[in-house]
Parts: sequence; structure tokens; C-alpha cells
Amino acid sequence: MPTENLTDKRLSKFKNKGKDPLKMRERRVAECVELRKAQRVESILKRRNIEFQPVEEPLSPEYNTDNQQVISATIQEIIENVNSDCPERQTQGCQTARKLLSRERNPPLKEVVEAGLLSRFVEFLSRNDNPTLQFEAAWSLTNVASGTSWHTQQVVEHGAVPAFISLLASPMLNISEQAVWALGNIAGDGPSYRDALIDCNVIPALLARLTPDAPVGYLRNLTWTLSNLCRNKNPFPRFSAVQQMLPSIIQLLHHSDKSVLSDACWAISYLTDGPNERIDVIIKTGILPRLVELLTFEELAVVTPALRSIGNIVSGSDVQTQAAIDAGVLTALPKLMRHPKPNVQKEAAWAVSNIAAGPRPQIQQLITCGLLSPLVDLLKNADFKTQREAVWAVTNYTSGGTVEQVVQLVKCGGLEAILNLLTVKDAKTVLVILDAINNIFLAAEKLGEVEKLCLLVEELGGLDRIELLQNHENNTVYRAAQALIEKYFSEDAADECLKTEATETDFVFGPTEVQRRFDF
Amino acid sequence: MFVTDIRKEFYDVVVNQRVALLVSADIDALCACKILQALFHCDHVQYTLVPVTGWQDLGTAFLEHKEQIKLLIKQDDDLGVPSYDDIFRDDEDEDEDGDGGDSGNESDGGSEPSGKRRRIERQRAKREWEARRREILFDYEQYEYHGTSASMVMFELAWVMTKDTKDMLWWSIIGLTDQWVHDKITHMKYVTDIATLQRHVSRHNHRNEDEENSLSIDCMRISFEYEYPVQYCEKCSHESWWECTRAIQEILQDGAASILPLKQVRQKFNSMDLSIKENLREVIEESSNKFGMKDIRVQTFSVHFGFKNRFLASDVVHAAAALLESVEKDEGATDNFIKALDCLSRSNIEKLHLGIDLTIASCICTNLILSQGPFLYCHLLEGTPDVKLFSKPLALTLLCKYLLKAFVCSTRNKRCKVLPLIMAAPMDVEKGTVIVLGIPPESETSDKKNFFGRAFEKAAESTSSRTLHDHFDTSIIELKMEDRGKFLDALITLLS
Repeated sequence: MPTENLTDKRLSKFKNKGKDPLKMRERRVAECVELRKAQRVESILKRRNIEFQPVEEPLSPEYNTDNQQVISATIQEIIENVNSDCPERQTQGCQTARKLLSRERNPPLKEVVEAGLLSRFVEFLSRNDNPTLQFEAAWSLTNVASGTSWHTQQVVEHGAVPAFISLLASPMLNISEQAVWALGNIAGDGPSYRDALIDCNVIPALLARLTPDAPVGYLRNLTWTLSNLCRNKNPFPRFSAVQQMLPSIIQLLHHSDKSVLSDACWAISYLTDGPNERIDVIIKTGILPRLVELLTFEELAVVTPALRSIGNIVSGSDVQTQAAIDAGVLTALPKLMRHPKPNVQKEAAWAVSNIAAGPRPQIQQLITCGLLSPLVDLLKNADFKTQREAVWAVTNYTSGGTVEQVVQLVKCGGLEAILNLLTVKDAKTVLVILDAINNIFLAAEKLGEVEKLCLLVEELGGLDRIELLQNHENNTVYRAAQALIEKYFSEDAADECLKTEATETDFVFGPTEVQRRFDF
Repeated sequence: MFVTDIRKEFYDVVVNQRVALLVSADIDALCACKILQALFHCDHVQYTLVPVTGWQDLGTAFLEHKEQIKLLIKQDDDLGVPSYDDIFRDDEDEDEDGDGGDSGNESDGGSEPSGKRRRIERQRAKREWEARRREILFDYEQYEYHGTSASMVMFELAWVMTKDTKDMLWWSIIGLTDQWVHDKITHMKYVTDIATLQRHVSRHNHRNEDEENSLSIDCMRISFEYEYPVQYCEKCSHESWWECTRAIQEILQDGAASILPLKQVRQKFNSMDLSIKENLREVIEESSNKFGMKDIRVQTFSVHFGFKNRFLASDVVHAAAALLESVEKDEGATDNFIKALDCLSRSNIEKLHLGIDLTIASCICTNLILSQGPFLYCHLLEGTPDVKLFSKPLALTLLCKYLLKAFVCSTRNKRCKVLPLIMAAPMDVEKGTVIVLGIPPESETSDKKNFFGRAFEKAAESTSSRTLHDHFDTSIIELKMEDRGKFLDALITLLS
């Protein structure tokens, strides 16, 4: 979910910054460094390791030491080997470096860079006569590039990119895969390097490796790297690149391996996290039914990005939202609203809130597909972040819905649930709730049932809470509460009510309703 | 959390936050809590008090308050904590054979993939790390071990901030005494810590010498005392426990021929005014020398409130323990504790001690204690008088402790004298559960390490017995009656 609280679809238009890609490419984005640093420090790397382990011997203790002197000495040794003319020594040097860089903790990335080893490693990448050498060098460079932006920059500036792109076509699968990995790290650094890689035609080279006989491990790496090429905003990857990658990503979305599925979904989520034009591109691939299907999977790693993608899509235009509804998203959402993970509940509620901001037929579909009851449950029982989304759903719903639709929501316990949330600390949420209450009163006005609604609100304990809010520290809150009281609960308001014509229809908010509500 | 500078790393951090204080239902914890509450009150720190009775409770309470919790303060001290990195690690890699990539912590699977990945050579390294981790955790968790009393730690914090009061000092005395009474620390530790507290007592009493209200009824004075836990004759090693008590009987009867029943003697002794007990001190010393017993005095404190009310720290502990265990687990626990201190209920202590005596007597007389090979075992049957008292951990612990002592004294079997004791008592008849606890063998040099927690876990696991390991004290568990047999068999195998 984008960091801004996307709620009302009408508010969720993205502004494409329209930066010049060339400029982006040359510039060293300072913020990127900070971001990546922070991410690196905080992130937990959860990537599955590939199965193919060409080197059998385990890492001996000397590679695991933290002793600076030992490390220095080892690096000296590497430098000497790597600078020699003897291929065996060169390979030995690379291998030693690889072992240092692939150890559990505190790999000496900086020391390796500062030892000036990168140029030799990059040189070795083109040694087609010596695959072992190529492989060790590729692995070492991959690991250096996995560090901070500075580390990645060092790798790139030593000319690794063209060499790695060439290696994609290596007949040795392990080398090709290592190149995929390295390029994934470089693309993942940020939009700058991502676009630089795209300009070097990395996409066709990668896609050429997507063959039916590719081993699963290889595919996983490939999918991850592709997802990094779809990732990041400011700017988004250019349309032509996206169009190039999409068919393969769609293909991967039908794979059976959960890791592949997960990363492919993430790619879609990145691509849908943008203005409506971006969303359109995705919808046009016809991927929606598959996405909805993925929502029903057991694996959290698959459900999360699939739900994110759907959430992004329904934050688009009404037409785009309808496409998602037509693909069956409303059948999948109730279960997700009851998911054991709070985060899934939250994102499901967010999606509902955006659908509820749509036209009346879409709101009607919320009703017919049975989303009101789980929504009310979320309002009652979920964690606060989810409740917040659910509250937005109610406000959007009551704002755009017909009188009958609003009544439906009240009958499902929606009014009671939001009245109970009036006591939350977050002033913004309280305001949204007061908005919703206002909307419901507007519906009541149309039915001539304001007085009944007042009674109901009072019985539900809402009046007390609204009155209390008149003392809230937040100006907007107390003014809104005051306005509500004055308009509907004061002496003058009572008079206004009498003037309104009572309708012949059942008193919707009448006592019988009240009784039914409280018959536990 | 584990801190080295309690003021900087703990108090200064929490003082500006809203704190959730999860307190386990033991007396030391409650005392520490009282001290902390007093400090919080001083500094206007907002806090929520949540009593927890076991691991499950702790888990539930934590989840309930999770949104607001930044710091978790649990009153349970352990020493020799392993370093963070040896136990936890960033999950840079996962199970090779696992699918879905969802191993490890719960944030797995549900979060965005990392931007970059390092290729790690981890097979052997991971195996080595895991083996090391298992070793460390076993060593750490193997023994139930208690360090410095939590309330003493809190008192020192208050002292460091020069905010310590006499009330806080008394609380920390009770906390320490609780540890001693319930056999959680060695005698050495008790003596050392008592000496520390004694210095504080002197400082406080000295401070008040010039106060004009030293005679007022509201004044609280803490005095250093010697106590004779004769009824529990801790240091009795040469003579049998019975004989020792008989000796006391004689003294009390002024050498009269007829000897009162044991329990009455004890009752009499307990209900005696402290001042009378004091007079007995010399008399007892004499006879203890006569019997060649080592110094059976134990240093402790008493507090005077007003003119008449004078309470020994250990009495307070017993009263509080009895009260803690006589309530259902709710927030009532904390309130009751506070009540306990306001109106000490001596009848409860007496009732408990009486119960213990009777039970010990009957167990020994009816040969209820059986040797199972690597340990002694005693199962309290349902019909046993006062058996309900012992469905609670603290009471059962006391019983277990003294029963073992009595048994060791009364048995001629040399081997049995150095065995640990496992006791089982009915817990909930309807649910068909028993409470089981184990204590280490009776020994003067005992370091008070209790390995039963681990042993119980393993035995339960290997037999799929239905157990609940909810107590903070891991050597106490609940077990389904039907599983008792196989559970015990597994224990025997395990400990042989």
C-alpha cells in the first residue's frame, strides 16, 4: 500500500513527476543512499538461497574471523594472487575473496573495495576460457553489490554491467544465474541504475533465459531480478520496458513455485502502484482473474502482493475497479477480511474502502456479495490500523450510497460500530466517523426519520460520546461534534424535525429496529 | 530486557513514556512493582499495571498492549544471559528444503522482498551456529536460577536517584525475604544481600534519629533481627528434625515430662509475641550448643508500625503468599497483596504451617515417599487432609522443601539422602489435573539450581503428555492425571 493514505479514489491520482530519465541516470541520488542504508539496516533478507552449490567444501574458521589483522593479511594474499599472471593463482585469489564475502556475518565488503580488487574481478568476468574464474569473480562482485549504494556504485563504476549482461548468455548455468543475481542487486539499488540497465538492453537478455527447461532456482532468481526492474518510482520504469517484461511476468504468474509466484506478484504490485495509465497497462494483459485466484492461496508470501496489486487497481478509476469486481474480487475479499494476519485484514479493508468510494452499482455489489457483515466485524474487533481503513469504507459508502444502501449498512450494525469508535485517540479518524454520521443523518432526512435516528444514536450511547467530543482538544473535532449536536440534537433541531413530513413507509430507524438491534 | 546501567538504560528511557508493567504473581515481583510505582508516582509517569500469572498470561497481556508497548518490564531475574547474537540472528537465509520461504519470524512472507541479496555460503556455518545455539540455550535454560531480587534492584535504582524511602526499603526487604523463604537463593546470597540492606537500614534509621516524630504512631522503624526459624530447622544437620523440635518443646515446657503434641507447640511458638521470642533467644542458643547444632539463627528484619504492630519480614512473606494463592487470577491479585500488608492475617500463616506439619507427619508415617531410582516421589492423594492448600505452587513448594528435609532426617538409606524430590498434588479434580513440582536434593552447599524445568519439558514431549508449563518457575507444571504414569516413567529414564 502506498505510503499516503489512499482512501477516496478521487484523491488518489498520482502525479507523474515526469523527470528526464537521462538526468535521473547520471545523478547520484543522495536520498537513495540514505534510504538504502536505512533499508539495509532494518530489512531482514528473506531470499531463498539457490540450491545449486558448486563448491562443496565448507567454510573454514579462518574465513569467519573478525580479527582485522587476519582479514588484512588474507586480503593481501588475495591481491597478490589476483594480480599474478597464473590462472590457478588468480582463481585461488578470487575464491578466497568469495569465501570472505560469503561468510555469515560482517563480510569485509569495504576492505575488498578499498584493496582495489574490483577491477580485476570485472576483468575476470570476460574470461570465457576459465569458467571457474568467471564464477568466483561473479559471486564476489554480486556480494559487493549487495551492500549499500556506495558498494553498488563501486561495482558499477568498475564497468561490471556490460560484462554481467554478456554473462547472461554463458553456457554455464551457474555463471548465468550469478549474473542474473548481480544484475538484480544493481537494479534494486534504485531507479537510476535500474534505468541504466534497461538502457543497456538487459531486458531482452534476461527474457531470453526464460526457457521451459530452466531449473526452479534459476527461475526464482530471474523473477526476482525482473521484479526489481519493475520496482521503484520517481520515475517509474518507462512504458516500453514494462511492455517488454509483462508477457513474461504474466507467464511466471502461472508458475507453480511459490517463490516465483510471490516475486512475480510483487512485480505486478509495483507496476500497479502508479497513475491510472499504469494500472490500465496491467489490466489489459487480462491478468485480473489470475490475481483474484492468487488471493485465495494459503501462502502469505503470495497473498500479500496479490492483495496489494488488487488494492492498487481498485484505487484507480471506476472502470478499472469494475474490471476487478468483474474478475471476482468481491468473492475473495470477505475471507481476507477474516485473515489471521492483521496486515492482510488491513489491506483488504483498504481495498473495500476504495470500492465503496465508487458509484452506486458498485456499492450495491458490496452488499450483494456479503461484504457488509465482515466490514462491521472489522470495525468491532480488528486492530486499530484496520479499523481506520474500515471507518473510511463506511464514510465513503455513506457518502456515495443511496438511502436504501445506507439503511442496509445501519441494519448490519455499521452505525453502532462506528459510534463505538468515537472514543479512539486519533482525531483524524474521529472526524471521518463524524462525517459518516452526518451522511447517515442526511439519509435519514430524506426518509423523514431524523428523530428516530436521534433516538437510535442515543440508545447506542453515541449521543454521550458526541457530546463529550465537544470538549476535544482538537478544534476541528469539537466544532464538528458541536455542529452535529446543534443540527440534530438541540431544541431547534427538534422543531425542524416536526416540520418534515413523515413518510408512509415503515419507520426505518424506528423502535422496532432498535429492539431488533438489541435482541441479543 | 537486559541492561547494565539501570538508570540510564531503563529509568531514563521509560520516564517519558507510557509504560505497561507486566508483573508476575510472586512476592518479590510485587515488591519491586511497589517501589517502581512509587518512583513513577513521583515523576508522574503514566503506567498500566497488568498482573500475570504465567507464560500464557504474559503472552496474552503482551498482545493486548502490543500497540502501546515499547518496553517490557518483567520481574524475573536471571544471570548469565547469553549474548543477543548467539541466540537471535537476522534471517539472511532460510531452510534449503523448506518451501514458501516462510521460515523464521512472523514478518516473513508478508513483507516486501529485499532490494538486494548477498549470496551466502552457509551450510556448515549454519549447522555449527545452530549446534552452538542449542548448547547455549540448554545451559541457560537447563537450570531454573534466580539472581538478585528484583525489588532490591529497584531499590538500588531509587537509591541511585536519591529517591529512596523507608517504605521502599521495607518492600525490598520483603522481596529478598521472599526469595529466601521460597528457597530461591543460596544462604550465602541471602547473607550478602541482607548485609547490603542492613547498611541501608542503618542509614535510614540514622537519618530519623533527630526527627521529632520518632515517637509518633505513624513512624515506621525497621530493625535488624535474628530469627529462629526453629519450626523449619534449616540448619539441622546432625540431629533429626524431630529431635530438634522436641528440644524446643522441652524448653518451652520448662523441661516438663509431658510433651504437648507437636502442632500445639508450634502454634504456641508462632503466636508468641516477638518480645518473648527474643527472650528465648539465649535459652535456645544454649540448648543448640548442647545438641551440637550449628548456629541456627538467621538474620532478618522486622518492622514496627506504631507501638504495637511488629512484624517479621518472613511473616509478611508467608501471609502474602497465602493471600496471593487464595485468590483467582485477576487484577485482584495486586489489590489483595496491598491488603495483605495493611492487615496481616496471622491466621492464614498459621493455617498453612499447620497444614504443612500435618501433611509431613502423615507422609512420613505412611511411607508415602517412594524412591523411583534417580529421584524421590511423593503423590498427595485426594483424601489427604488440607490437600487443597497444596494445589497452589507456593504452598506446595514449602511443603516439598520441608518434607524432603524431614525425610532426609528420618531415613537411614544413605542413597536416598542425596536424591531430589518430585511431588504431585491434585490441582483441579474436575479437570483431572495434578500439579507437579521438583526440587533439588537436600544439601548444604546447594547452589539452588533446579534442572527440573527442562527435564519436565523433555519428559512431556517424549510421551506426548498433556502438560501446561505456564509458571514462571519452570520446575512447576500441571499435568493430566492419566498421563502421570508415562510421564514419570519418562522422567526416570531421562534422569537415570
